[in-house]
Amino acid sequence: MAEQLQMNKRQNQALVAAKATQRNQYLTFTLGGETFAMEIRFIREVIQFGGLTIVPLMPDFIRGVINLRGAVVPVIDLSVRFHRPPTEPTKRTCIVILEVGQEDNLATLGVLVDNVSEVLEIQGEDIEPAPSFGSSLRSDFIQGVGKVGGKFVIILEVNQVVSVEELASLAANRGAAEAIEA
Amino acid sequence: MDLDQAKQTFIIEAHELLDAMEESLLAPESSEAVNAMFRAVHTIKGSAGLFGLDPIVRFAHTVESVMDRVRAGSLAFDPDLVNLILACHDHLAQQISELQEGDDAGSPETIAEGDALLARLLPYLETVPRPAAPPTTLVTHESHPHEEEDDQPCWHISIRFGPDILRQGMDPLSFLRYLQTLGSITHLTPLLDRLPAGPDFDPERCYLGLEIDLDTKVERQVIEDVFEFVREDSQIRIIPPRSKVEEYIQLIRELPEGDHYLGEILVKGKCLTPKDLEEALGTQRQEAFEDGTVQGRMLGTIVIQDQAVPPAVVAAALDKQKKAKEKTGHEVKVVKVQAEKLDRLVDLVGELVIAGATANTLAAQGTDSRVLEATAILGKLVEEIRDNALSLRMVQIGETFSRFRRIVRDVGQELGKPIELEIRGAETELDKSIVEKLSDPLMHVVRNSIDHGIESQEVRRARGKPATGSLSLNAFHESGSIVIEVADDGGGLNKQRILAKAVERGLVQDPSSLTDQDITNLIFEPGFSTADAVSNLSGRGVGMDVVKRNIDELRGTIEVETYEGAGTTLRFRLPLTLAIIDGFRVGVEDTFYVIPLDMVIECLDLGPFLESEQNHLINLRGEVLPFLRLREVFETRGAVPARERVVVVQFGELRAGIVVDRLMGEFQTVIKPLGELFRSVKGLGGSTILGSGEVALILDVPQLIQLAVTRKHALQPRLSTVS
Repeated sequence: MAEQLQMNKRQNQALVAAKATQRNQYLTFTLGGETFAMEIRFIREVIQFGGLTIVPLMPDFIRGVINLRGAVVPVIDLSVRFHRPPTEPTKRTCIVILEVGQEDNLATLGVLVDNVSEVLEIQGEDIEPAPSFGSSLRSDFIQGVGKVGGKFVIILEVNQVVSVEELASLAANRGAAEAIEA
Repeated sequence: MDLDQAKQTFIIEAHELLDAMEESLLAPESSEAVNAMFRAVHTIKGSAGLFGLDPIVRFAHTVESVMDRVRAGSLAFDPDLVNLILACHDHLAQQISELQEGDDAGSPETIAEGDALLARLLPYLETVPRPAAPPTTLVTHESHPHEEEDDQPCWHISIRFGPDILRQGMDPLSFLRYLQTLGSITHLTPLLDRLPAGPDFDPERCYLGLEIDLDTKVERQVIEDVFEFVREDSQIRIIPPRSKVEEYIQLIRELPEGDHYLGEILVKGKCLTPKDLEEALGTQRQEAFEDGTVQGRMLGTIVIQDQAVPPAVVAAALDKQKKAKEKTGHEVKVVKVQAEKLDRLVDLVGELVIAGATANTLAAQGTDSRVLEATAILGKLVEEIRDNALSLRMVQIGETFSRFRRIVRDVGQELGKPIELEIRGAETELDKSIVEKLSDPLMHVVRNSIDHGIESQEVRRARGKPATGSLSLNAFHESGSIVIEVADDGGGLNKQRILAKAVERGLVQDPSSLTDQDITNLIFEPGFSTADAVSNLSGRGVGMDVVKRNIDELRGTIEVETYEGAGTTLRFRLPLTLAIIDGFRVGVEDTFYVIPLDMVIECLDLGPFLESEQNHLINLRGEVLPFLRLREVFETRGAVPARERVVVVQFGELRAGIVVDRLMGEFQTVIKPLGELFRSVKGLGGSTILGSGEVALILDVPQLIQLAVTRKHALQPRLSTVS
C-alpha cells in the first residue's frame, strides 16, 4: 500500500513536471497486458483505486463514482469501453483523473487502468498514424501509434474514448432498452 | 474611482428602479404610484447624467416632465398615456441593457425608437421644451455690475449641496437645467471654497455651493420641489423676490461663508443694495451681540414672521419632512451582495458540513469524551451556519410573480382578453437558484393559460362566466416542498382533443388503456400541441415538454388539475433548496442512499404483507401501503438479508414504503449533482459525500415510485392515494 502511494506520488510529481512543458508528453499505462498512452494535457492526476460507489442501473463501463476532494467524479472502466472483460481491481489498479471537453465545459472523470507506467516523451517523427484496420480498438479511439524503445504503444484519442456525450447517450440507451424489455 | 464598477451599480439600480416603475405603472391609480414612477425616472436621469449618458438623460427628462404633470394633476393618467409610459419604460430598459452590453451610445434602432417615443410624448408636455435655454450668466468676482441691466426682483436660492449627493446619483447641473425650465437664471455664483486642496480631495464628494437668482413666476412650492431629492442632505434657502432685508441678512449669517463675500453676491444679484448690506450687517452684528438667540431662529419662523409663505404651507412641508424621516426609520437595512459570493459561501458551508461529519465519525471511533463533546458542539454550530447561509439565498417569490402583471396585461390586451391576475403567497421564500430557473417555465405556463386556457370574451359570456378572465399565481410551503400554482378559470383541458392529437402524432398506441390523469399528462410529451392556430405566444408545441424538463432539473414535479369548462390548475412542487438538505441515510448491500428527511414519515420492519409478498403491499396498522424493494428496483447483486426495513415516505398525497437493508439515521446532506454522464439516471436526485469520505446517492422519491410503477405494472392499479 505504502509502496503504491509512493509510486502514485512520484507519478503525480512527474505529471506536474511534464505538464509544465506539455509538448510530446505521454502517460503510459497497461490495460489487460497491453500498453497504451495518453496525452498529458488531459490528465489531472493519478489516484489509487478505492472508495468506489456503484451507481445503479448504469451500463457496465460506468464503474461508479468516487469522492475526489469533495467533488463526485464518475469512473469509467476502459477495458469494458474497449469491449473487453471488466477490470479486476488489484493492488496496482489506478484511477487516472482526466479533464475532457471544451474550454467552457470541462468534465472531470476517472478511467480505471491496471497499472500506470511512466511519463514519456515521444517525438512526432516516432508517431505513426492510426492503422485503418488490424486493431481490436475502434479506429477513432486511436490518435496514433508511438514507437517507444523498439515497441509500439497505442496513443488514445482521449476526447473520443471518454466523450461525455457518447457515454451519456450510451447510458441513456441502456435505460431505454430496459424500458422496452419491461 | 472605478467608473466601470460604479456604472455596473448604476445599471443594477436602474433595472430595479425600472421594475418598480413597471409595477407602479400597472397599478397607476394611487398618487404614491405616480410619485414612485416619477422618482424612478428622475433618479435614472440623475445617475445617467453622472456618467454623461446623454441619450438616457434626454429621454428620461422628457418622460419625467410628463410624469411631473401627471403628478401635479394637470394631466390625466389615462390608459393611452399608461401604454405610452410603459413603452417609454421599455425603451429605458433597452437603453440600460445596451449600456450593459457596453454600447454607451445606443444602437441606431434604439435611438430611432427613442425619437419616435419622444414625438409621442410631446403632446403631453405643457409647452414644447424651450429649444435652448438662454445662456446662463456666470457671475464671477471680476464681472462688472453695470453689465446687468434688468432690475427685476428675483427669487434668491442659496444651496450648499450635501457631501453625498454625487454618490446618491444626483447631478448638481441637472438642478440648474431644471431651474431653467421654470424661468431664467439671472445670476449664478458657484461657491468653491469648501473644495479642499490636494490629497484631501475626494472626487466622490460634492463640495459645491450655489447662489442662484432666478427670474420666474412659479410658486415657492415648485422651486422647493426642484430640490426635493437633495433636501435632506443639503442646506437650501429660498428667498422670494422683494423680501425684507433681514431675510437676506439672516441667510448671510446662517451660511458658513464669510458675511461680506455672500453680501457681495447678494448685492450683485440686486437683492440688496450695498448700503442695505452695510447697515444691516452692522446692526445685526450688534443685535447678535446683545441677544445671542438670534442665531437660533429657524428659517421656518422667519419665513412665517415675514409672511412670505402662508403658515399652512410651512406646516405641510414640515409634516412631509417628518413623514419622510419616519419612513427611513422603518426601512429594512439591506446589503447588496453579488450572487456568486453567496453561492461560494454556500459551497464552502457544504464542504464544512462534510468535514464536520468526518470529524464526527473519527471522534466517535475514539474514546476521548472531550473530543466527542467538542465535535458535538462544533456540529451544532455548523448546522446553524448551514441554516443561516442557506437562508441568505432564500428570496421571496413575489418579485418573480409581479413580473407577470405586465405579461398578463400585455398578452391579454394583444388577444383581446381582459384578465385579472391574482397573486397570493408572494412572501413565500425559496432558494434563489430555483427562482431563477423557475421563471421560464412559469412564463410558458402563464402564456399558455392566457392563450389556450382562458376563452375569448364572447365565449365566456356565452358560458355565463364573467367577461374578465381570472388567473392566479399562488405559492405556499407544504411538507418540506414549495408548491406553486398557476390557476385559470378558462375552458380546462379538452381530453378528447388531447387524446385525438396524441393518437394522430403517434404518441399513444392504445387510447383505451389510459386513465384521465395519463391523458392530461400527455401535454408534457415532446412535440405535443393542441393549439388550432400557431400564435406567436405559444402553440408551437415546444412549451410543456420544456416546462416539464425544467422542473425535472429542479427535482420538482408537475401536477395538472383540470375541469372541463371550469379551468385548469398547474401545480409545481419543488424542493426548498438545491444545496443542502436533511437526509435520512439507509443502506443496501455496500451502497448508501439518502432519502430527503422531509419525506420520511416513519421506519419499521418489513411486514406483515397483505395477501402475499408478490403484491408488494403491506398492512400498515390497517392501511394499505404499497412498497418497493430498492435492491430490486436498482438490480443490486447479493442476497436479501433476513431482516428488511421499510421507510415510509410521503410525496404530495402519495404514500409508499421503500424497503432497504439497513437504517442509518439522520444525516446533513450536501447535494452534489451527478453530472452530465448520469443525465438519464432514474430514481436518483444527486449524490452526497459521507463523513467517511464515501459517496452516497440521494433518492429521488417521486421518480423512484414512478420507476417502480412502470416496472411492476401490476402494482399500478393498487397504488392507492392516502389522504
